[in-house]
Amino acid sequence: MLTELLQGSDAGGFIIIRDSASCSGRHLLKSFINAALNRLHFHNAYSDPLGWTDKPTFTVHQFCMEELARLLKQTSHPKPATLVIDSLSWILRHVSPPAVCATLHQLRKGGAVRAIVALLHGDMHQRGTVGSVCHLASSVITVAPGMKGGDAVAKITKRSKSGKVVQDEDIFTINNDLTVVIQSKHSQVGHKQADPEEQEMDPTAHLTFNLRLSNKEREAKEKLALPFVFSKEKKTALLHSSPGSGRILYEPDANDDYDQEDPDDDLDV
Amino acid sequence: MAAPVSTVGKPSAERLPLNTTSFQKKTRTKLISIPGTRPSVQNGQLLVSTGVTSLDYLLGGGLAVGTVLLVEEDRYDSYSRMILKYFLAEGVVCRHELFVASAQDNPDDILQELPAPILDDVAIHKPVEQPRLSCEPQDSLDAMKIAWRYQNLPKVQSALASSSRFGHYYDVSKTMEPEIRQAAKCHRFYLTEHPTQSPPTHSTMLESYSALLKSLQEVINSEGFDVAAPMSKSRNILRIGLPSLGSALWGDDLSCHDNPRNGHALATFFYGLRAMLRSSLAVAVVTVPSHLIQDRALMGNITRLCDNAIALESFKGSERETNPLYKDYHGLLHVRQVPHLNCLASKLPDHKDLAFKLKRKQFTIEGRSGRSTCCRRSSERGSGGRWASRWADV
Repeated sequence: MLTELLQGSDAGGFIIIRDSASCSGRHLLKSFINAALNRLHFHNAYSDPLGWTDKPTFTVHQFCMEELARLLKQTSHPKPATLVIDSLSWILRHVSPPAVCATLHQLRKGGAVRAIVALLHGDMHQRGTVGSVCHLASSVITVAPGMKGGDAVAKITKRSKSGKVVQDEDIFTINNDLTVVIQSKHSQVGHKQADPEEQEMDPTAHLTFNLRLSNKEREAKEKLALPFVFSKEKKTALLHSSPGSGRILYEPDANDDYDQEDPDDDLDV
Repeated sequence: MAAPVSTVGKPSAERLPLNTTSFQKKTRTKLISIPGTRPSVQNGQLLVSTGVTSLDYLLGGGLAVGTVLLVEEDRYDSYSRMILKYFLAEGVVCRHELFVASAQDNPDDILQELPAPILDDVAIHKPVEQPRLSCEPQDSLDAMKIAWRYQNLPKVQSALASSSRFGHYYDVSKTMEPEIRQAAKCHRFYLTEHPTQSPPTHSTMLESYSALLKSLQEVINSEGFDVAAPMSKSRNILRIGLPSLGSALWGDDLSCHDNPRNGHALATFFYGLRAMLRSSLAVAVVTVPSHLIQDRALMGNITRLCDNAIALESFKGSERETNPLYKDYHGLLHVRQVPHLNCLASKLPDHKDLAFKLKRKQFTIEGRSGRSTCCRRSSERGSGGRWASRWADV
């Protein structure tokens, strides 16, 4: 699944590469840039994040919807761009996680960017913070060191819009020209959410007696006269009863005055 | 006190236009007849169905009007979202009004994904067929060969009123038709469309939660769901669905930090919500991403502030996925809290180990061992002795 994610970052997708101290995910991030590359605009927020010099290029407090939208419009390219964030962790150090989540959510929904790929260092933050940010993502790639020296294991969890969750695990290496080579695939496709409908057993399949009719038998069955089937005239005569042909006329008399609370009619109330 | 049946309403005198029977039960007590509700057999509370019949049984027959159901989300929010969709779909089918508030997804998107009801006897809003008159032409007599004496009786309207059935079944693979969905009135609250207001005077609640409570209050008062409102028109129930409350998108850092700064904002919200619901004809289902909340004391606080609380634990991604004991199921269901409304003690569920499975036409919840009771739509019996019991439809 790693190759699919590399090639097709679908619109509105938000991919998080989660790494730890034991294995860096920066090379995988660079492979993503390489794969999605048309033109690259680089905004440097590393050298002066808090704006201590007079002319900061990009401060960390500018990580909000308005500023980012302005920055993206400056590139003057007709197609919306893919935003790659090298290290969301540096932003999370200075800006509160709810604000970062809100900005990322607005970026996704607003349509200013086509897709977002971000790197997150999982061991730099509290579990709740990492969990909250990953909860927003459509795909999370967790990078861990592999068995052999140059390998790394990527555990991918992808959530589709319909709520289906697919998990996969790939072992990969990255070449010098930033292409990803998948060594072997662990195909652990997640369970489907709803079972397919069970096949109905045909009850007439294996019987010791015959349930089918031949043509002759069917004709004979149609011809059979049922006992209470009348002719048409008799049916209409019965349905539209002529006046005076047996109506019951009844007027209630004293015995019908049945009192629920006094059935024997002997209470002296 | 949740709205008990006796204090509300006037006598039920609504006659349906084409009733199948003319029998009217003579009752002394003033029962309100809101479609889609029924009184509880245990304590007379007015109950609504959650849309999942197994869950109704677990909660004691249904969800009492005026209470809150808290669903702790599973890791990827798939099954808790499904329960919310069942709840809203049941509201559409019973013709209740809906209120959906969300910070992440647009409420319209959530409403478009509701599952389609399985339509044996759900009233669809088609024009009523005229009953057949007795002076029909002769050729119609051939229509019925054996039961011809019943030719001229008016056709029985096969779509019963929705009040006669409590709890419906839904087909997850199809979405609800737009005509059925648009017949239900829905109020929306999308947090991104609400501008951030000035910070409130008291600091215990966040602005997003106060805005939500205000919006709810307006809807309840304007649409007449308040119990104290004058009985001018027929009453209806408001179903409130709040997905992913407490997540970071609401501005709450409860799920982000181990020691959140405004840790009691969500608890205050639930307190206000429950107070509002107790005096109105409304029910709420709220899902909270509790797997992100690290402070278990705060989570316990929130659980105690809701009347019903269940937690879903999905097997996906955990080592239990390959456990052969759990292979038929999608996850475990834990009951965290049962309601005790107007009474001292409440009825606890018999089984403590519950597992759920989302099939195409049913969301089943089963408990460990015990005699198997028959279910109305039992498609197959559970395999193996240990997870073989099924809940009966009450």
